[in-house]
Amino acid sequence: MKTRITELLGIEYPIIQGGMAWVAEHHLAAAVSGAGGFGILGAANAPAETVREEIRKVRELTDKPFGVNIMLLSPYAEEVARMVAEEKVRAVTTGAGSPEKYLKLWQDAGIKVIPVVASVALARRMERCHVDAVVAEGMESGGHIGSQTTMTLVPQVADAVEIPVIAAGGIADGRGFAAARMLGAEGVQMGTVFVTAKESIVHVNYKQRILKAKDIDSEVTGMSTGHPIRSLRNKMTREYLRLEKEGASFEELEQLAAGALRKAVVDGDVMYGTVMAGQIAGMISEEKTCREIIDSIMQQAEDVMKKAM
Amino acid sequence: MLERVKEIIAEQLNVEAKDITEETSFKEDLGADSLDLFEIVMAFEDEYNVEIPSEELEGLATVGDVLNYLKDKGVE
Repeated sequence: MKTRITELLGIEYPIIQGGMAWVAEHHLAAAVSGAGGFGILGAANAPAETVREEIRKVRELTDKPFGVNIMLLSPYAEEVARMVAEEKVRAVTTGAGSPEKYLKLWQDAGIKVIPVVASVALARRMERCHVDAVVAEGMESGGHIGSQTTMTLVPQVADAVEIPVIAAGGIADGRGFAAARMLGAEGVQMGTVFVTAKESIVHVNYKQRILKAKDIDSEVTGMSTGHPIRSLRNKMTREYLRLEKEGASFEELEQLAAGALRKAVVDGDVMYGTVMAGQIAGMISEEKTCREIIDSIMQQAEDVMKKAM
Repeated sequence: MLERVKEIIAEQLNVEAKDITEETSFKEDLGADSLDLFEIVMAFEDEYNVEIPSEELEGLATVGDVLNYLKDKGVE
């Protein structure tokens, strides 16, 4: 399938893997790119040299293009921004704000820039800065979320900008892919389904928790702090929500949440760790390879789009 | 300029212009989040034909901050 996104990124299918902290490392990114999608390394809060190592490891595993997601609130954002320009990865996606101050650096290095946006105004602002595409991410996503849904955000962003739009949030199969295309997106970004991929290095408990999740299993914490996060219900989310209800201070809440994602992903503590996942977790029930995931999405999308005509 | 600035903020955040003063804080008093701030800033950019880089958003906590910022940029 050809869209402006496949052309922009030099990939076969317009399927992008989200840059999830702790999860989006070289095995996963290489597997997604190797299967014709676009793998992404999540720089999260890692220093530049750690991410550089990861980039090199992806290059040992595949010669296909891939990208890096830069979390702009990271204390290392600036050094990671410079490092990716040296390494000349194909594309950078950004989260948690506006990447304006790094745009020239990346554009001069020939890197495609794709900010994740949660509103029409931010999408328009990014287009004005000549970014290459935007990811319109709805609040069905796992991890840090905005307040609009994919169903409402994607068509509004697609109407507001000329650059290609990638839909994210709540997509994990061919039906979601087809729906995103109908809403005006030229590609999709998926996170949760790739967390459960065979190549994903997350702890088996984390994977199992997603594979066994029901539709109503996700919860949003941190509304009161202005940084809402979607994760699967457990002792941690219940305790957090109780504290929030009681009006606990930001520091108290931070103490509970600090290091909790690592605890879940690396140590497999799915009771007291943060099991970030999107609302679509309930639909994902089988561990597959990245190639199987991508192939089945493209096949199903073609089938449902034909039937719908 | 204060009156027009108040009108723009009122329109963007759906609040009453008469409740806004120079001391009004976007976050604390008007409950604006980061996305709201982008909306407001872009409305100012359109109105006054200036460019406000994202890095400078942090310095714009109150209505008074915005007025000073715009004056520094030569807006009358």
